[in-house]
Amino acid sequence: MVMMLPFVTVLLSAWFAWRGSRAGAVGWWLATLAIFVAWCFYHMTSHLDISL
Amino acid sequence: MPLVTRLGRCATCLDALGLLALAGVLWFAFAWQLLLHELPCPLCLLQRAAFAMAGVGLLLNLRFGVRPLHYGIAVLSSLAGLVASGRQVLLHIAPGNPGFGSPFMGLHFYTWALITFFALLAYCGVMLLTDRVDDRPQPRPLGFLARLAVLAFLAILAVNALSTTLECGLGPCPDNPTDYLWLRWL
Repeated sequence: MVMMLPFVTVLLSAWFAWRGSRAGAVGWWLATLAIFVAWCFYHMTSHLDISL
Repeated sequence: MPLVTRLGRCATCLDALGLLALAGVLWFAFAWQLLLHELPCPLCLLQRAAFAMAGVGLLLNLRFGVRPLHYGIAVLSSLAGLVASGRQVLLHIAPGNPGFGSPFMGLHFYTWALITFFALLAYCGVMLLTDRVDDRPQPRPLGFLARLAVLAFLAILAVNALSTTLECGLGPCPDNPTDYLWLRWL
């Protein structure tokens, strides 16, 4: 899992928004969301130590 | 004039303040990382990414006018951030667990993140109640406050991309990072 990847894609999204490309910004935001979900599966599927 | 109508008229100003606040949160976390040498864990990084994703929604509002799609982006990003911060709260909720990192004003950063994502969701809900939709999503010039917010936001996104690359390289981050992977060679 490349941890820096969502930061690069969200930076691209913000950059496209700043430069006036709404479609580019939304597209890169969707890519960031997809990476975020994938990373959640990688980092959040171990058991929680909350049951007695 | 109803309160929601007044809020709708101030939407651009409020969005600029919201984006400035999000950039402030990310700058504060980065300053904390540098000054206390507390490197962010993978879940902390995911929460930072969620703040950045939510900021894109507000940035789109500033640049293209207020649209439900832009608030939708902020809402989904806040939900993603809630999942990550809620998970980290649950990881450290058991009695006797010291938590991860130093607390700030009595709460750990992931608890603050949870509260902030809730607040952002509430903000988006209220702004959607105003029912303001600008005509065409065309690029528009930014005022001083909006420009300041956008520049602060873009700068901290670039800083986070660089910092995460230095910390984790081109792979996953360890659960409890103690130093920057790419600075070990210096």
